[in-house]
Amino acid sequence: MSTNEFDYDVLVIGSGPAGQKSAVQAAKAGQKVAIIERDSLFGGACVHKGTIPSKTLRENALRVKHMRQNAALADFHLSEETEMVTLIDRLDEVLKSHDKYMRKQIDRNNIVRIHGRASFVDEHTIKITKVGGETKNLSVNKIIIAVGSYPRKPDNIPIDHEHIFDSDSILSMLYLPSSLTVLGGGVIASEYASIFQALGVKVTMIDRYPTPLGFLDSDMTDTFVKAFKAMGGTWLGEKNVEKVHWDGISNVITECADGTIITSQKLLCAAGRIANTNGLQLENAGLALNEKGLISVDDELCTEVANIYAAGDVIGPPSLASASMEQGRRAASNALGIKIGSMSQLIPAGIYSIPELSSVGLTEVQAREKYGNVLVGTAQFEEVARGQISGNTEGMLKIVADTQGKKILGVMLVGEGSTEVVHIGHMAMLADQDVDIFVESTFNFPTLAEAYRIAALEILAQRA
Amino acid sequence: MSEQVQLIEESLKQLINRGGIEVPMLPEVANKALLLAQSTDSDASEMAQLIQSDQSLAGHVMRIANSAAYTPLSNLVSLQQAIARLGMATISEIALTAAIGAKMFNTPGYEDYVSGVWQHALATSLWSKEVARQCRSNVEVAFLAGLLHSIGRPAVLQTILDLAKQEHIELSDADVHQLENTYCYQVSKAVVNRWKMPTLVIEAIDSYTDSRSSLAIENHAAQIIAGSKFANNMLAPENFDREVLLGLPVFETLNLYQDEVEELLTKTDSVAQRLEGLSS
Repeated sequence: MSTNEFDYDVLVIGSGPAGQKSAVQAAKAGQKVAIIERDSLFGGACVHKGTIPSKTLRENALRVKHMRQNAALADFHLSEETEMVTLIDRLDEVLKSHDKYMRKQIDRNNIVRIHGRASFVDEHTIKITKVGGETKNLSVNKIIIAVGSYPRKPDNIPIDHEHIFDSDSILSMLYLPSSLTVLGGGVIASEYASIFQALGVKVTMIDRYPTPLGFLDSDMTDTFVKAFKAMGGTWLGEKNVEKVHWDGISNVITECADGTIITSQKLLCAAGRIANTNGLQLENAGLALNEKGLISVDDELCTEVANIYAAGDVIGPPSLASASMEQGRRAASNALGIKIGSMSQLIPAGIYSIPELSSVGLTEVQAREKYGNVLVGTAQFEEVARGQISGNTEGMLKIVADTQGKKILGVMLVGEGSTEVVHIGHMAMLADQDVDIFVESTFNFPTLAEAYRIAALEILAQRA
Repeated sequence: MSEQVQLIEESLKQLINRGGIEVPMLPEVANKALLLAQSTDSDASEMAQLIQSDQSLAGHVMRIANSAAYTPLSNLVSLQQAIARLGMATISEIALTAAIGAKMFNTPGYEDYVSGVWQHALATSLWSKEVARQCRSNVEVAFLAGLLHSIGRPAVLQTILDLAKQEHIELSDADVHQLENTYCYQVSKAVVNRWKMPTLVIEAIDSYTDSRSSLAIENHAAQIIAGSKFANNMLAPENFDREVLLGLPVFETLNLYQDEVEELLTKTDSVAQRLEGLSS
């Protein structure tokens, strides 16, 4: 029930996945809701600088890769003067439809859209500063902070958005570079490194850890690195980057502590993202960032201040759009005292590199640490008819089961289609099904789903 | 508008519609410099060789490279050294701005005016680049689009003067500028198309006067507008009004908040130095 004591019952700061879902949830509960976005477009970095643009480029990179693989069918050659705009040709269309869809949803739920920057005056008052400089204070009952994140800029990397880019500016390049150094081994670094390599750019990926995507099992990351190298990419692990500079001619020079020097036309620094709280003046509301530079929340997604909640990248991992949406919905429900079930800890992770990777539940390493001798079954895509038919052979699926080979503890995939196929395992886990379900069920043939049966049979064969 | 001016306007329109406006060729050296800077496998020696092929250009590049704006402490003696110090992209910018310019057009009686237009275009290109950097947008597109957004002015001016001469009509300055203002952008589009500039540059200049455009293109056009406003303030500081600048609607299009515009203003000295270098 809405009250008249405040300008708004619920005010959401940020219109990314977490912000949108929390605003809609609060509005559906009959609250007077406003959503503030500092950018002129709705959707946050996910829509405009991250997920959607990079996935649009990825689709074209995959097409280029397939055309190269099918050189016998078509003599394909990507011109050296290919403009980036050609490679993300449908982006504008995609963004416009997304923006239209989001605006409709916001309007349909009578949510007030405010374009401006928000800062706290106190825990119930938000100051809005418009682009033109005008300001206005709004009194608010509940506040949900969903301001997302922005790329971290290490001190030794002089990002100029001309030769040395971050993940927010990399797609602004006019032409595909001949070579690209990617600093980092996380999700964003792996995605862009493999996408640009598939487009024919000579990519060198450098990170201080021995393998990229270290939170996954090594057989998964080995498959990724093998595929990356097969496309011509270079992975340099266990290197500490000391200095990066543009040589003033045409190259960016990366100097590592061990003396390795890498020269490339452009460089992408993907050194993680940090909470986008600049200018929020959290201290005025009695809030402070934690030692990781994030906003701390409890299980209810409530901050240290009772009427202020937070969701999405600003509270830290998993920093996935999918998880942020659910957190947003829950933050609003909790703020309004609406009873909801507990949030499932089973959130699948999707990495849109080439090839894709995806996982849900525990990795094999985590499962062994927790349960000891767990049983593991794997299936290579090359063993699956669909993989052979579509030339999608560089991939695998792994099921991790408990020590009896019954309960599914985790599912991981690497290979094209992974981010979709993982949901079969995800659903089985949510329904608390045993590994047997993959053997006893009939899947379409030929499909990659067949890999579940192969991996499950391997587990069944190991049962005592 | 007098009958005589209408007659010139009619002829001008016909020329524009059938693509008959005389568009100067993009000087070969400028074209090659642009291609070399974009090429994935060119090197500094190729650029040096290209610039050396044009003596006056080589002299110009050396003069600029040695100017305070670029190399305050060193005395460069060779082109190779200049390229190593300033970089391929900067040298190609210098070569491009030196090769295209006021002297490409024959506009008797309006030489100073055309020089002023060119000076403003140069300033706009440098400012558009800074605006683009702030917006995390492409700086090369912003530079080229800023530089060429008003290239139609001298081209259409030359055509108006030619037509008037042909028809034995004496036009007043006001008439000339009215016609120039009405048709210059259409001609700018024709020039960048003829010069085969990158797609985004062509689209940015198209959108500079048209409202129908995509989100990305709209932003590039807004960068030219903002660049042009910063350029106005820099070239005529006596007319600079901070409040007026901060209140410009183009910053809303670009989503640049007041503090971000203020931050851009702090770059005025460095942009002025670079402009001085490029114009020397």
